[in-house]
Amino acid sequence: MTTLKKVLKLRTVVSTSAGMALATSCYLAGLQVATIMVGELAWISILVAGFFCLLSSMCFSELTSLYPTAAGIKLFIQSAFNEKAAIAIGAFYVLLGISMVGAESYLLSSVLSGTFTMVNANIDKFIWMLFFIVFVACINYRGIFITGLVQDILTYIMLGFLVIVSIYTFSTQDIAMSAALQSTQFTLANVLKAAGVGVFLYVGFEWVTPLAEETTDYKLIGRGMMIAIGILSIVYSMFVVAMYTGLTKEQLVSGTPIPHIVFARNLFGTPGVIFFIFMSILASVTSFNAGLLNTSRFAYAMARDNVLPKVFSKLHPDYATPWVSILALLVFAIIISFFILITHQYLFIIVMAAALECIIYVVMAVCVIRLRKKQPDAERSFKIPFGNLIPIITIVVFTGLALGLFADVSRDYSGKVLFHNYWVALVMFAFAIATTLYTLFVVPVFKNKAAELAKTRQKRRPGRQA
Amino acid sequence: MAAKEEILEALADYQVQCNNNARLRRMQRDWSKLIHFLSEDTGDYFTMDVKNGEIMSYESGASGTPDIIVTTLSENLCDMFWGDLNPSQKYLDGEIKVKATQEDIMRLDAITMIIWPDV
Repeated sequence: MTTLKKVLKLRTVVSTSAGMALATSCYLAGLQVATIMVGELAWISILVAGFFCLLSSMCFSELTSLYPTAAGIKLFIQSAFNEKAAIAIGAFYVLLGISMVGAESYLLSSVLSGTFTMVNANIDKFIWMLFFIVFVACINYRGIFITGLVQDILTYIMLGFLVIVSIYTFSTQDIAMSAALQSTQFTLANVLKAAGVGVFLYVGFEWVTPLAEETTDYKLIGRGMMIAIGILSIVYSMFVVAMYTGLTKEQLVSGTPIPHIVFARNLFGTPGVIFFIFMSILASVTSFNAGLLNTSRFAYAMARDNVLPKVFSKLHPDYATPWVSILALLVFAIIISFFILITHQYLFIIVMAAALECIIYVVMAVCVIRLRKKQPDAERSFKIPFGNLIPIITIVVFTGLALGLFADVSRDYSGKVLFHNYWVALVMFAFAIATTLYTLFVVPVFKNKAAELAKTRQKRRPGRQA
Repeated sequence: MAAKEEILEALADYQVQCNNNARLRRMQRDWSKLIHFLSEDTGDYFTMDVKNGEIMSYESGASGTPDIIVTTLSENLCDMFWGDLNPSQKYLDGEIKVKATQEDIMRLDAITMIIWPDV
């Protein structure tokens, strides 16, 4: 058995998993958790959400140890159910996943337009959004990759920075913990409700599974995901409480989309703002870049598999990048971002992303149980202990969180209703119907056409011409 | 099951097809990799050395430390080198396993796609 020249280390698996989850929208999602809970106790829901994600990461670990491939989620579902289910769910996941770019680019553009005025707030936001999305698309188009070492440096700098800022805040601000514990808002229902939104903070940790092909020991992926979730839980818990404490009541009520920048100004003045802007850009660019990289490769692979039109498999003649897929995703991201810019409903996307993750975690846990039945003897370098107990708990918990999210109402800090979350469920349902119809009626057309072409094609292998 | 000689014959053709394709050579001009192919049903290894997009050599056995390891059935290897098989489809079905970066996996698939676009 030979081994690869270059293999990923645990350090890089952790930084990639945590780096995918770290994004500008996390500050806002964290504040939303604090809004549902008592701010000073937001850490409880963040830790609860982290613990639930840990359960889900165990499911991903077992599946990755069974199929250590970048085709991951598609292959897990295909093996557990069938190809149609894999295509429909995979497309649903990727399409809604890329829509997070809308919220992310809106928030980053809010950060930048709130600091540098060029024309006016709205036009500035639009310019920054466009610049940000096109910039990341160009990096992808040109085939420039963030190497493991760079990813390590960026992620650990971001995490370290948040920890230092949190410790500084705790040492200079009063945290009314005992008053918070007495609050009527501190209930089990609110802890769980906030944990539902808190899942968003960890969105993307599982995108590290494609790296299984770059490791020698598949258990590294599972271990890396779990460590990343642990680190994120601690860092988010500290920073969200620090940020909440560092904002005034008026600032909380204002419903600002950039609470971390306001917080930075309160505590550190202009130098703090500059640092946080820099961190926001890093967080957004790295997570969006990784998202676009993965989804464009997914679209390329789907086109090669005759699931999407062939044009999506076109490669750039010089850079060998799937430029049509990148371009299509760029247009999709701009449309979603433009929609957010007009409606200002960035929170809608955050709730949708949290619900999407809950649904995918349920699907993965079901896959674990089904594959244990279908392939009981298949080699797994990692198997979740206690039989099906943990996958079943994962199914129950995340189904409950998703239903809880859909039944809830999104409010700002002053209690004003922003939207009923059943609208999120309806939009997701529409997407699910669209991807299912596409799978049932459009994919067979492409597949049949490819099969017809294959029949007429002369085999090149000697003796197989017939 | 394809014999070692059949796979070597297929590799010979693959080398000619790759090296004679100007478009592919241009696209892969900065791609230099040592690739090991493992036929999992026969246990045979094959080594291919790619320098700047050109297949410099191929041989039976596993030599050097590879950048990419491809594992599949001998029939799949043979069909893939003759251009009769879509590697992406087999990869997505889990029949072809690759140990490499995502970029290298796509570049490897690109070889078949550029030479035989109708596969």
